[in-house]
Amino acid sequence: MDDKDKDVRIPFGPQHPALKEPTSFSVALRGEKIHSIQVRIGYNHRGIEKGCEQRTFIQDLYLLERICGICSHSHSTCYAQAVEEIANLQVPKRALYIRTIIAELERVHSHLLWLGVAGHEIGFDTLLMYTWRDREAVMDLMAEITGNRVNYGINTLGGVRRDISLEQKEQVLKVIAKLEDQTKYYIQVAQEEVTLIQRLSGVGKLSQADAKRLGAVGPTARASEISADVRKDDPYAAYGELDFKVITDNHCDVYGRTLVRMGELLEAYSMIRQALKNMPDGPLSVRAPRKIPVGEALSRYEAPRGEDVHYVKSNGSDKPERVKVRAPTLANTQSISKMLEDRYLADMPIVVAAIDPCFSCTDRMIEVEEQGVMSWEQLRCYSIDWYKKQGVDFGGKKK
Amino acid sequence: MNDRRIWVEVPLADFMDKFSYAVKEQGFSFLCTITGLDEGEYLSFIYHLAGKDGVVLNIKTKALKDKESIKTVTGYFPSAAIYERELIDLLGAKVEGLPEGIRYPLPDDWPAGQYPLRKDWDASVLEKKNG
Amino acid sequence: MGIIKKIIRWSQLKSPWILHFNTGACNACDIEIIAALTPRFDLERLGVQLKATPRHADILVCSGPVTRQIKKRLVRIYEQMPEPKFVVAVGSCATSGGVFQGLYSVEGGIDQVIPVNAYIPGCPASPQAIIDGVVKLLKQLEAME
Repeated sequence: MDDKDKDVRIPFGPQHPALKEPTSFSVALRGEKIHSIQVRIGYNHRGIEKGCEQRTFIQDLYLLERICGICSHSHSTCYAQAVEEIANLQVPKRALYIRTIIAELERVHSHLLWLGVAGHEIGFDTLLMYTWRDREAVMDLMAEITGNRVNYGINTLGGVRRDISLEQKEQVLKVIAKLEDQTKYYIQVAQEEVTLIQRLSGVGKLSQADAKRLGAVGPTARASEISADVRKDDPYAAYGELDFKVITDNHCDVYGRTLVRMGELLEAYSMIRQALKNMPDGPLSVRAPRKIPVGEALSRYEAPRGEDVHYVKSNGSDKPERVKVRAPTLANTQSISKMLEDRYLADMPIVVAAIDPCFSCTDRMIEVEEQGVMSWEQLRCYSIDWYKKQGVDFGGKKK
Repeated sequence: MNDRRIWVEVPLADFMDKFSYAVKEQGFSFLCTITGLDEGEYLSFIYHLAGKDGVVLNIKTKALKDKESIKTVTGYFPSAAIYERELIDLLGAKVEGLPEGIRYPLPDDWPAGQYPLRKDWDASVLEKKNG
Repeated sequence: MGIIKKIIRWSQLKSPWILHFNTGACNACDIEIIAALTPRFDLERLGVQLKATPRHADILVCSGPVTRQIKKRLVRIYEQMPEPKFVVAVGSCATSGGVFQGLYSVEGGIDQVIPVNAYIPGCPASPQAIIDGVVKLLKQLEAME
């Protein structure tokens, strides 16, 4: 009897509670163990590269920002860098620093998001709630500085569109001080909580040799002890002037990827502080011509998920000849089959989540009955009072 | 001008030799991606190879549209498979030696012979099926 | 059967169960939908629960401009939901295709494929807007009685 007859094939996706985006896996099982897996992506294919050729360079900046809602600044900056290289624009230093600060804030919110999602995938919903609550502080900062919680639109060709004021600087420093304490607490949990360690260790193993061979990038590669980080290897924006470590780990599994991301959070706080301190005064942008001269450029950026690559070719008109995007998740999908070889079906959600997939390479008030309109602070006090009446006291805790 | 970028063009007949040289002897050990371009009579392919000190070698070659084929580089980089599948789906490139696999990124019901990234392709050739 | 209908209606209005589906979006709206379930906004206090299967859901909360590849699956999921069912389109993309309007692999909005009951604009739609939209839908259903 052929070995293949022993396999039971089950579909996983494109609609599945563990997946936030549509992807399809066809999993061949023997009992509970995964024998082989076929990955089918492309559900998020929207035809953006073709669309770029039909829109002007500046319109493309905003289109590419929406490739992904979590790393939108990555795509926008990577593209802007490529166009600025072709047009030989000298982006002012202050703009480079602002881009760097927003980039690291994006890394913070993305890694906190990931921590929450990873917690959710292994059934640790408390971690999801804690980290996403912390993340809201970063979203508020972004909304203050750039005007939107997501899809910031801070870039323009030639620089940035908005400045960071002194008050905003103080806000950022306050928020990261708090987040740093929280992150140190999460690191402590990850190093001491036995159930967490057991659940994540040995899962999704990817040896250094395999990671190199299959072209893994970002925290996935760094957890297999590959010290590759575009910010260090091929510095862009203001990274050449910042002091930071590339975080690697030798566990080669999901636990290692968790530790790498948490280490990167601490580095990000340090980088944001440095950048805020050393940010020079000056203009926010240089004027970019509408028609970009003939040329081509390859731009690389270290997105929270790994290396993002944009290739842009211009033909002298106001629309690009070609725009090619290779998002980090595409480079990491090749490793999924290897990581899931001979593992249990229950590991699938966390292993897929561990590469942090992003297949789409994106003074408030509410009204309460009887009370009319409330401000945020009033709502908070209202809820604390309500719980007090039920016998639960949140008012004293300063979390 | 970015002094960490090298741009070269190599004729199709010499391509695999030069590629092998770059990867095996010049230390360009990471394939970032492969960009395909429609240049009229030819399809061009740029292989972006990253090496030490942040240098990226962009090595380009051309093949006559629908007539000539390029050889797969999956022997050097297994990860190239998905980039090559993209070239086949979106530009109608011919790639010799690529192992069998699922297409990417177009949907399964995409009409054959339609290559969206070609310059002469327009979305109006598709029948718009409205549910 | 009048009383059974009443009970069903009452439970739908007091505790709508939602299924979240991404039809090829950039994730921004999806993250905001999930953020609406986290402690800051806490949709669960309104009785809203995120379900894993269409067969348990009252409301389909959809984001994304509907790519060609996902179209058939969207229809299938809609058909798997039991009556009475409602669809909420979250974000500019789900409403009209957003920035992806006109691209070759995009249908251009959820209502090109299945009937939609409520549209929540925004790029992305903020959690407050999502809560507002869901509450408005529920109020409308109540008024239909």
